[in-house]
Amino acid sequence: MLYLLVLFCGALVMFIPFAWSLSTSLKPLSQSLAYPPVWIPRVFDWSNYVKIWQIVPLARWFLNSGIAATGVTLCNLVFDSMAGYALARLQFRGKQFLFIGVLAMLMVPFQAVMLPVYILLRYLGLLDNYFGLIIPLAVQAVGVFLMRQAFLNLPADLESAARIDGAGSFRTFWQLSVPLVAPSLLTLGLISFMLSWNNFLLPLLVANREHLWTVPLGIVMFQQEYFVNWPYLMAAAVMTTIPVAVIFLIFQKWFVRGIATTGMN
Amino acid sequence: MGIAMSLPAMIVLFLFTLGPAIYAFFLSFFSWSLLNKMQYVGLSNFGFIFTSPLFWTAVFNTASFALVVVPTQTLVALGIAVLLNQNLPARGFLRLAFFFPAVSSSAVISIIFMWIYNKFGLLNGALGVLGIPGPNWLANPFFALKAIMMMNIWTTSGYFMVVFLAGLQAIPQEIHDAAWVDGAGSWYRFTRITVPLLKPTTFFVAIMGVIGTMQMFDQAFIISGGTGGPLNSTTTLVLLIYQYIFSYGQVGYGAAVTVILFVFTMAVTLGVNKWLGKPIEY
Repeated sequence: MLYLLVLFCGALVMFIPFAWSLSTSLKPLSQSLAYPPVWIPRVFDWSNYVKIWQIVPLARWFLNSGIAATGVTLCNLVFDSMAGYALARLQFRGKQFLFIGVLAMLMVPFQAVMLPVYILLRYLGLLDNYFGLIIPLAVQAVGVFLMRQAFLNLPADLESAARIDGAGSFRTFWQLSVPLVAPSLLTLGLISFMLSWNNFLLPLLVANREHLWTVPLGIVMFQQEYFVNWPYLMAAAVMTTIPVAVIFLIFQKWFVRGIATTGMN
Repeated sequence: MGIAMSLPAMIVLFLFTLGPAIYAFFLSFFSWSLLNKMQYVGLSNFGFIFTSPLFWTAVFNTASFALVVVPTQTLVALGIAVLLNQNLPARGFLRLAFFFPAVSSSAVISIIFMWIYNKFGLLNGALGVLGIPGPNWLANPFFALKAIMMMNIWTTSGYFMVVFLAGLQAIPQEIHDAAWVDGAGSWYRFTRITVPLLKPTTFFVAIMGVIGTMQMFDQAFIISGGTGGPLNSTTTLVLLIYQYIFSYGQVGYGAAVTVILFVFTMAVTLGVNKWLGKPIEY
């Protein structure tokens, strides 16, 4: 009973910031600044949710986030599973070397190599376009690792049978093995989508022009460069959080699974 | 075939992970502003960095951030995971509640917390009820980094809780049952069974925590508006790298800090990995 009380208090602490942003988003500016703070708005003012779309190109930012996250997800699904399959099932020279390389790259965080990556993107002409938001995240070492594990767990006999029946290794991979690892693909897809959708640093480096900003970057720029209107900001925060919350609620099992198997985001 | 199938992934990984690390090492020997001609300067970038007070401020901020956040979030995550690993009503709901901040956007969370930490914000309102006058959290050099620490612990604890839950579920129930039959109380079982058997998970959580906190950027950038203020109290190493490129136009200095951060991260990772690599017997 005591445990439950502790846990519910903890859950409340987790919930308060989101609830507070919802509460603020429903107040007119003057009331939002009331001190001491008021939880329940006197009148529910939904106009912030309408006006924010007119003040900043929020729709465009959502579109950009969607394009980038979709691109990143598709690339990871294709490339990570191909590499994972090769490392798990095929024999070729240098395989061990490549696998150690992937393990080493698991440990390189993006932030640490921000400077050389920025210069590289500049050289490759990837600044200020969608490719710059997608390609640097198109392959994740974690994803390759996750897919390798998934393919290793498939019974090898199955594939030998397909081979004997005359299917080439790519056909075996595509028609037989990929459908069997669908759960891992779902986990990988979620990890990749979230990685891109929530990313702040990459758009900050790549997207100089407002029409390429993603939602997180746009909201931060809006906060820093324009003016401080908390109800607007909180309305934007709520609208950004809702799609994440919906995806999370539907697929929560797979998020947990992703962490349990790879231990990483 | 194997080579062909892994090639696209390997090229991208190399271009954006290992390649940049090598490139940073190369750049750290040059003076360059991105616009002028590169000039070889030997080790003088490192000489500058090691005598720069701003660098040491960033090291101090990053280290204190890691030293506070990593143990706290590990303990909180372990505590919640152990409590949640029992037969409780609403377990699924509670797990969701703790985990959700970890999948939310760091930018959105930073903005929400800026509002909460406002001089006339929610936190000071709550402290006011208790009769404590709250500081202007983010404008005060003494409190700004601590405010980010609290926010970070709030965000990541739930994530590591899930890692711990997976570790806890790998401990065979019979061990607990046997100890319980022998009359061991719950605290005794926690300290003598759970904690030792969870050691690999704990190391893993600690190492991920150290790597994560050493790369802290988004929160410091957003909350300080990119300046690392007030009075450089929120300048982290990665924020300093960003400033060297975009504010000072000193690619060489930024590259030198990148190399230092990289070597340090690798050393910590490999060191703990070696430690972690030992198998555990039940």
